[in-house]
Amino acid sequence: MGAMEKIDDQISSGAREYLTFRLDQEEYGIDILKVQEIRGYEPPTRVANAPDFLKGVVNLRGTIVPIVDMRLKFNCEKAEYNAFTVVIILNLRSRIVGIVVDSVSDVMELPPESIKPAPDIDSVIDSGSVVGLGSLGDRMLILVDIERLMSAPDMGLVSDSD
Amino acid sequence: MAETHHESGPGGDIDLSQFYQIFFEEAGENLDLMEQMLLNLQLETADDEELNGIFRCAHSVKGGAATFGFTDVAELTHKMESLLDRLRRHELQPNAAMVDVLLESADASRSLLARHQGGDEGEVPSTADLVRRITELESGGSGVAPIAAAPVAQPPVTAPAPIAVQVAPTIADGVRRLEIRVGPLERPEQADAIQELFRDIPGLGDIKSLSSDRKDTRVFAVETTSTDEDLLDLFAFHVSKEHIAIKESDPPSVKEQGYGFFDGAAGSPVAATSYADDPPPGAPLAPLPGYGFFDGSPGAPGSSGGGAAAPSEVRPAAKVPVKASPAGAAAQPEAATIRVAISKVDQLINLVGELVITQAMLAQNSRALDPAVYQQLLTGLADLDRNTRDLQESVMSIRMIPMSIVFSRFPRMLRDLAGKLGKKVDFVTQGEATELDKGLVEKITDPLTHLVRNSCDHGVEMPAERLAAGKSETGTITLSASHQGGSIVIEVRDDGRGLSREKILNKARERGLDVSDQMSDADVWQLIFAPGFSTAAVVTDVSGRGVGMDVVKRNIAALNGTVEIDSAEGYGMKVSVRLPLTLAIMDGMSVGVGDEVYILPLSSVVESFQVKADAVSTVGQGSQLVKVRDEYMPVIELEKVFQVPRYDTEKSSDIMVVVEADGSRVVLLVDELLGQQQVVVKNLESNYKKVPNVSGATILGDGKVALILDTGALVRRSRH
Repeated sequence: MGAMEKIDDQISSGAREYLTFRLDQEEYGIDILKVQEIRGYEPPTRVANAPDFLKGVVNLRGTIVPIVDMRLKFNCEKAEYNAFTVVIILNLRSRIVGIVVDSVSDVMELPPESIKPAPDIDSVIDSGSVVGLGSLGDRMLILVDIERLMSAPDMGLVSDSD
Repeated sequence: MAETHHESGPGGDIDLSQFYQIFFEEAGENLDLMEQMLLNLQLETADDEELNGIFRCAHSVKGGAATFGFTDVAELTHKMESLLDRLRRHELQPNAAMVDVLLESADASRSLLARHQGGDEGEVPSTADLVRRITELESGGSGVAPIAAAPVAQPPVTAPAPIAVQVAPTIADGVRRLEIRVGPLERPEQADAIQELFRDIPGLGDIKSLSSDRKDTRVFAVETTSTDEDLLDLFAFHVSKEHIAIKESDPPSVKEQGYGFFDGAAGSPVAATSYADDPPPGAPLAPLPGYGFFDGSPGAPGSSGGGAAAPSEVRPAAKVPVKASPAGAAAQPEAATIRVAISKVDQLINLVGELVITQAMLAQNSRALDPAVYQQLLTGLADLDRNTRDLQESVMSIRMIPMSIVFSRFPRMLRDLAGKLGKKVDFVTQGEATELDKGLVEKITDPLTHLVRNSCDHGVEMPAERLAAGKSETGTITLSASHQGGSIVIEVRDDGRGLSREKILNKARERGLDVSDQMSDADVWQLIFAPGFSTAAVVTDVSGRGVGMDVVKRNIAALNGTVEIDSAEGYGMKVSVRLPLTLAIMDGMSVGVGDEVYILPLSSVVESFQVKADAVSTVGQGSQLVKVRDEYMPVIELEKVFQVPRYDTEKSSDIMVVVEADGSRVVLLVDELLGQQQVVVKNLESNYKKVPNVSGATILGDGKVALILDTGALVRRSRH
């Protein structure tokens, strides 16, 4: 019952939970409900003729899952693969996609009043995919509509015919 | 009488009964589905989709019943189908009477099927009345049931009881009438749920609510074949057993003439007992001309103690003669097969895959251990290794079955069909060893049945017509299966009259479809997939309603497959069903290029050899050719096609693999041949997108993903 009440509370107050992760110095937040699991990085199988941020595909318990390195996608200065590199497995509209990030920080609940609209800025992220900026004390969270971001045509994750 | 030869394939003496079970299950599902849809049908606003759906159910049951020679079922469902066809074409407005009669017919079909399933024992339920009512409705009449209020169709006859068995043999065989008191309960409404049980569970029997003398108690009159224990178990869902009292009720009242069966024989319980005790169950029932059996055996009532005390002894025996009833039949399929959701099997396969990988990892890590110290651990790991392999093998085998299972259904069907139509048909099968995923096999069977029937009915001409056209008297229908370019292709070919472009276009215009004479042949052929499209002049019970192709297309599309038609008027037609390899298992050859591993479908590999540097010559814009035994073949460097990074510059591709696809050969240049293995083909597109020159992916023993090459695409690439 507890969990249900909590969700009810969240719906009424509009607060949602976000998984936060780091890319270089920036901190991002995505809707926790889209996250299926978090795994360590393992070298994927390269797919020919794919953009460089698409690292390839891995075997996730029998399912073939594409892996996107967000650091390459967002033009981070360095993209190292070490023991702390983390893959967030997302479940987006029945498609499963993994994203590589530097580290996962935590899960936090953000009430609507602490989310500010994002100003129009020139960025590698399609501005429509940024839902807003969450402020937590002196930290700034870039809240991303990950579903929209991943299904954007420039991600090349879906066929044109889809 | 036409002759049907079986030039290849498992011969003519196929025991069709091995497929009965599948048919019974399918038919049961179809009837259930139809019932559900009928119940949900909004009479005023019934849309085409719903009516088509119901129609298809009836059509499928009919098709199957005809194939297996259950003529009674086929006849009844054919009638249902005719009525539904008129509804579907909006020539009639659906009304409640139709729904009633269709539901009753579905029940009757079930009873007929149950009887067939039970080895054709017991009374043959007559369907004459249902057929009459359907015909009446179809011609616009009222088709009212003779006994309007009857919950189950009863014959209009007032007389001899055996006929009363008609639609509901369950009720007549070993039926017991009980009075059940439920209570005292704090909330007597709970007891009302029991009535729903009877409604929900087919074959359980009938229940009526009786007036109760106490407020906290409910009394029901029940007619059932179930035992007291079974009933109590069921009721326990709603009320506790202590509150239920079951007793045999008084002999039936006059109003139920239909069950006079028991009245005639000195008190129903005894009658049931006496024949249940008789060794050959069911047998004496069938020829029963009247009640001579009971009347003439004075010992019967006494033999089982007689009177109302008997029921307790009846119970165990009473079930035996009910063999043909749903209750009895249900026990059989349970023992023989279990239907399991594909997703569960998939999950099992994936989990076993993971297990194999974990096991391989453990084996790898334990190799360095000292056997003297870790003897027990190592023995355990060896056991684990063996068990894992066995487990993997068994799990894999759940899914794969050869196409011959499907193909062998057809010779008999074609034989009967050809005989009926007065045609001569040869049936040839090819590639029946092609293994196909069970899920696909199950789903492809119905569409194939339709296609083969169509070929026989519409494709192959009458013998005289064939002779006149300069062909041999006997037509040939060929069914073949093969792996092709990352797909499984099943073809149905006939050398009949082919499709008539003109007829199809005319028919399409008649139906108000948007067509023009400039349409390509392929587009014209696609028209025959429209629902209700048929160019056949006469609607037979074989085909011609135009339902087949629409079902075919729908079913195949549901499997992510495609249907292509190739036809030449006067020469025949070919329908190719192309199914994706998803879920299929394939023999693969793994090759190494740089540090990467790719899988080639073994079926397309012709040969491989080491190449000398001077054997390759270039032509024009740098295309490379190699001479293999007097034949020049284009060379494709996988390293370039897949942009494989090369870290070790010492190594280079010097192994050539000749592959053949779409009738052409090309040579693939690879670094090394790693081995052959069975691979489970995984779909790349479910989470990613189509990758050029790749048909799918698979998971290697070490858990890594390897891409499977689409040799067809590589061959086509070399042509441009």
